Amino acid sequence: MNIDRTVAPQTEEISSFNLVEANSTKIENGINIHRIQAGNEAVLKVDFVFNAGSLHQSKKGQASLTNRMIGEGTSKYTSQQLADALDFYGAYISTRSATDESSVTLYCLSKHLSSCLTYIYEMLTDANFPEDDLKILTQNSVQKLAVNEQKNSFLVRKYFYSSIFGEDNPYGSSINKEDYLNINRQDLVEFYQTSYINKLEHILISGQADDSTMLEIEAFCKKFNNTISRKTLPFPKFDGSPERKKFHNKPGSSQSAIRIGRPIFNRSHMDFRKFQLLNLILGGYFGSRLMKNIREDKGLTYGIYSSLESYKNGGCWYIETEMNNELREQGLTEIYKELKTLREELIDNEELQTAKNYLLGSFLRSIDSPFSLADRYKILLDYNLEYSYYHEFIEIVKNTKAEEIRSLAKEYLQEADLYEIIVGC
Amino acid sequence: MIQYNTFTLDNGLTVIHHQDESTQLCVINTLYNVGSKHEDPNKTGFAHLFEHLMFGGSVNIEEFDEELQNAGGESNAFTSNDITNYYLTLPSNNIETGFWLESDRMLSLDFSQESLDVQKSVVIEEFKERYLNQPYGDVWLKILPLAYKVHPYSWPTIGKEISHIENATLDDVKSFFKSFYCPNNAVLVVAGNISLEKCNMLCEKWFAPIPKQQINKPQYQKEPKQTEARKETVYAEVPQDMIVMAYHIPARTDKGYYVADLISDILGAGKSSRLYNALVKKNPMFSELDAYLSGDIDEGLLLIEGKLLPGINMDEAELAITQELNKLKTTDVEDLELQKVKNKSETNILFNDVGSLNKAMKLAYAFVLGDIELVNKEAEHYLSVNQIDIKALAKEIFDLNNCSTLYYRKK
Repeated sequence: MNIDRTVAPQTEEISSFNLVEANSTKIENGINIHRIQAGNEAVLKVDFVFNAGSLHQSKKGQASLTNRMIGEGTSKYTSQQLADALDFYGAYISTRSATDESSVTLYCLSKHLSSCLTYIYEMLTDANFPEDDLKILTQNSVQKLAVNEQKNSFLVRKYFYSSIFGEDNPYGSSINKEDYLNINRQDLVEFYQTSYINKLEHILISGQADDSTMLEIEAFCKKFNNTISRKTLPFPKFDGSPERKKFHNKPGSSQSAIRIGRPIFNRSHMDFRKFQLLNLILGGYFGSRLMKNIREDKGLTYGIYSSLESYKNGGCWYIETEMNNELREQGLTEIYKELKTLREELIDNEELQTAKNYLLGSFLRSIDSPFSLADRYKILLDYNLEYSYYHEFIEIVKNTKAEEIRSLAKEYLQEADLYEIIVGC
Repeated sequence: MIQYNTFTLDNGLTVIHHQDESTQLCVINTLYNVGSKHEDPNKTGFAHLFEHLMFGGSVNIEEFDEELQNAGGESNAFTSNDITNYYLTLPSNNIETGFWLESDRMLSLDFSQESLDVQKSVVIEEFKERYLNQPYGDVWLKILPLAYKVHPYSWPTIGKEISHIENATLDDVKSFFKSFYCPNNAVLVVAGNISLEKCNMLCEKWFAPIPKQQINKPQYQKEPKQTEARKETVYAEVPQDMIVMAYHIPARTDKGYYVADLISDILGAGKSSRLYNALVKKNPMFSELDAYLSGDIDEGLLLIEGKLLPGINMDEAELAITQELNKLKTTDVEDLELQKVKNKSETNILFNDVGSLNKAMKLAYAFVLGDIELVNKEAEHYLSVNQIDIKALAKEIFDLNNCSTLYYRKK
């Protein structure tokens, strides 16, 4: 067979999405159960979500340590007994504490769900925060922090958030050594009482969640005497630093870690989805302008990306990279040159089309597994959105014009509005 | 249970097909049977550098990534001691683009000095980012040459030193391609929403015309049995002392590999493990303490890695670890504990099966290990391990003369 390898095969634009939607029910005590039934393997991921982020704490470290201590002992079981029991069923527990909320996630085989739930229930209603276990956790966290503080990439992230949001703002603050040492058992007990006990807000279950699984989940939920009184906390003011450029000297570094960016709107804003496309073009994928110019053309870095982060009460946008120290000035010049080009010149049609096709393809990948479907759905929950948000996303991506990209860049990517944080030497 | 079909093209390319009608995607995973262990000891880091060049354009296609992205696809690759694995995902209706791209770079690359120079710089920055500009980043660079004296696992995939990458020439690149990048040294897995007929047709169309090559695989020596305890001390600007102990274990295809894997789980995977409970919780000497396998195809390593709490003496910490290891040599593991680690491997296996890409990688790797059916048999291998196996292997490996210890001390 003779084939002409110089000619690309025909491709089709991505036009339809088979998006498996969640099924949600609210039971009498107010707990919301969300089910995503998908996937070919008999596995489950179950997220237990609480309004218990650092936004809700009265002392630094309280939310995160309470969350991490949740599997470290209850009145009935010691921390080792809990770990042994869950490991026996081959299950994994992960805990996550962010600014807006905290969660506990269970990964297990479908057949072991009910056994695992017995222990999860104890953890969510009767954790007792043993003094000794807390001491070990804080001690080890202090050690880990010391290691992280030697990493330029860790430091630049920390300085960036505190610069753009303000050190006292929940999105800008970070835990330091003293915070760990100041936390005591009582702080955790109090936070647990006010934010966890009978405060379970959402359960998201994804994977092979059949009807009998759902009956187990429902029975589990009914055991809670939930009393959710939704009080919306006033969100503290942003207090970004007036100093936009900061250089932190770290002698002996062989690379500089760089973050350039700004606070920006969150997902609720009209321009968010268009900005996702703009971000992609600049630094959101391997074919982005920054990657092509600074890595693939000049070899100054192993990677350079730009990202858009959305939180419930705000958001930020930034470029990040770790770059050759000696050639850092050249790299910075190129970054600002790319931003200027975006503000001043129209993107050509081919590049725009490639970015659109890639973005739609990556959306398709992001709805391919039961767990990523759950992540997509969680976003809708967080911002009170409907599935139409994603269907519109496809239309918005397809219809965005070069002029709109340029005017977005003009509006949001002015050099004067950007922070530039560098850790290196 | 992963279902698959397999066939071989006339040029020696093995194809494995897995169909999943529930996805809208299709994956092409191409594994070349070449890794850093096939490198010249004076030109290390080459397999990995080469992986970067595979994205720099091929004989008929200037821009690999752009063409793929334009079809809504994404791709990446990784290099290990044993293999180099490339994968791409596309909406299934555009999968032919993947066949076109992947087959063209198997046919030949667009070798250019410019692309080589840029990727050398990129890889040097990667070397710095991952191995030098990180606390403890060079541990791997130190422990491997201690544990391996003869076998090429003595250097990491990134290479022994930056100069090896700097010195790579275009001729090196060409001869590496000629030696290893050919259909008869590869396995292609096509997984996702694609029928066997279509897969077959596209393989015939795009891959069958690529000629078979003579493969020049360098012979390397098996690592002789270690007969003396090896120790090395390094000092670095780090916040705490660290100890790494590396024990030689059986090869990936040996039954003993599964035993070693379960031993590493008993010792150091998670909060119910022995080392964690004994030396992080009950008698705290470490802030972090883990046990894991290096995961190589030839005889690999079981590693114990721990960061010492301030004020803890290195000798005492080492002794405490050794005592825990010795318990496995003298006392049978309890039924429940053994069952626990087996259950954990069952979960791991199933979670790793989620998604076409995971399945594709697993199928390709099983082929290289010599038996595709391993993808469905590994769980049984774990289940068949008993107390006697654990004790016997523990006796064999947890021997001072089988151990290389790195004392990584704070300056």
